[in-house]
Amino acid sequence: MSAELTKVGIVSCSGEAIPEGTVSRLATRRVLELLRPDKTVTICLPLFLAGNEGERNFAKTHPTITVDGCPKQCARWGTEQNSGPVSGALVISEILGTAASGCSRSLRGASQSDKEAVWTVAEHIAAEVDRVLAETAPVSSDELKDGAECACSAPVPGGKVTIQGAPVTIPGLQLIFQQCLERLIPADDSGSPAVLDAVKIYHRILQEEEPEYSTALLKAYGEFCRERKSGE
Amino acid sequence: MSEQANDKPVLVIPCSGIGKVHGLISREATYLVADEMAPKETDTLCLALLVKRDPEAVDAVKTQHCITIDGCPKACAEKNVEMAGGHAAKAVQVTEAFKKHRGAKPGTATDLTEDGWAIARDVAQEVVDEASRLWRERKVQR
Repeated sequence: MSAELTKVGIVSCSGEAIPEGTVSRLATRRVLELLRPDKTVTICLPLFLAGNEGERNFAKTHPTITVDGCPKQCARWGTEQNSGPVSGALVISEILGTAASGCSRSLRGASQSDKEAVWTVAEHIAAEVDRVLAETAPVSSDELKDGAECACSAPVPGGKVTIQGAPVTIPGLQLIFQQCLERLIPADDSGSPAVLDAVKIYHRILQEEEPEYSTALLKAYGEFCRERKSGE
Repeated sequence: MSEQANDKPVLVIPCSGIGKVHGLISREATYLVADEMAPKETDTLCLALLVKRDPEAVDAVKTQHCITIDGCPKACAEKNVEMAGGHAAKAVQVTEAFKKHRGAKPGTATDLTEDGWAIARDVAQEVVDEASRLWRERKVQR
């Protein structure tokens, strides 16, 4: 029986009636796909009532963080009543305060404030995942086998850059570049520090590697921007 | 359905499944209906409130007409409405709408392509048709 990394479950309220519900859903996906792809899994909250026993056992087989849009904390209480105790509980209205008032329920109305809200909440969730993992002992692969997890929470493909002659994969590089593009970071030397800073949030870069990463990332970002422009 | 339902909007309740594009389509179809296509006749309600057994939400699904939209055959929205004591006047399945869009590439769990929006609009139209039928029935009953 080999010890393996425990995966943290994230349960989003996804409340349909309020913009914070949309932020909770998108921020949770952002963590699953980009920020902590190998450390997290999710499940649809309503499955605790509509699903099978394996799905109801989700919070018993994973240390679970709930992400709620409002102080009613449906994800937290729904998880605790129907699945098991939670290891962390975030409330978006507490994280964003009045900033959420400018957000939209539908993707059609999404603006820059929606995108910033999603990034802010996603970073809070990722920090909570790190905290929970630091406090949780690894579980065996046999224990993990019976746990329920969403089959769709596979990480997004990474982008590759060459560092010291070897290819290095950076998870979600395209999404990071997309975020840079939306922030109007130029794909030239003046934008290079900002691109490097954005990647450093999600990928560990040693100080002595920074010059080489800067060059490689700027080149990759330039190609990304050209592709986007030609696709318009 | 009680007489109270006559004065209240039809509740459109999607599953909003977090794992696949189907859940996002159910969610966006709901907003198309409640925000644009039939804002006076319909409204939405957080499905999570039913999981929590929030008394107001439970009362709402018991006393108002409901239409559920589910992304997968597990039918979480429909089942949660029924477990709360309500009844779905129509239970729409997003997968059914896909049959009219063979080969479509609808997007991901976080973003829809043009194909995805076309499917969402089809689902929304189906919901609006049913909501209109329910409103016509109410008028006849009056």
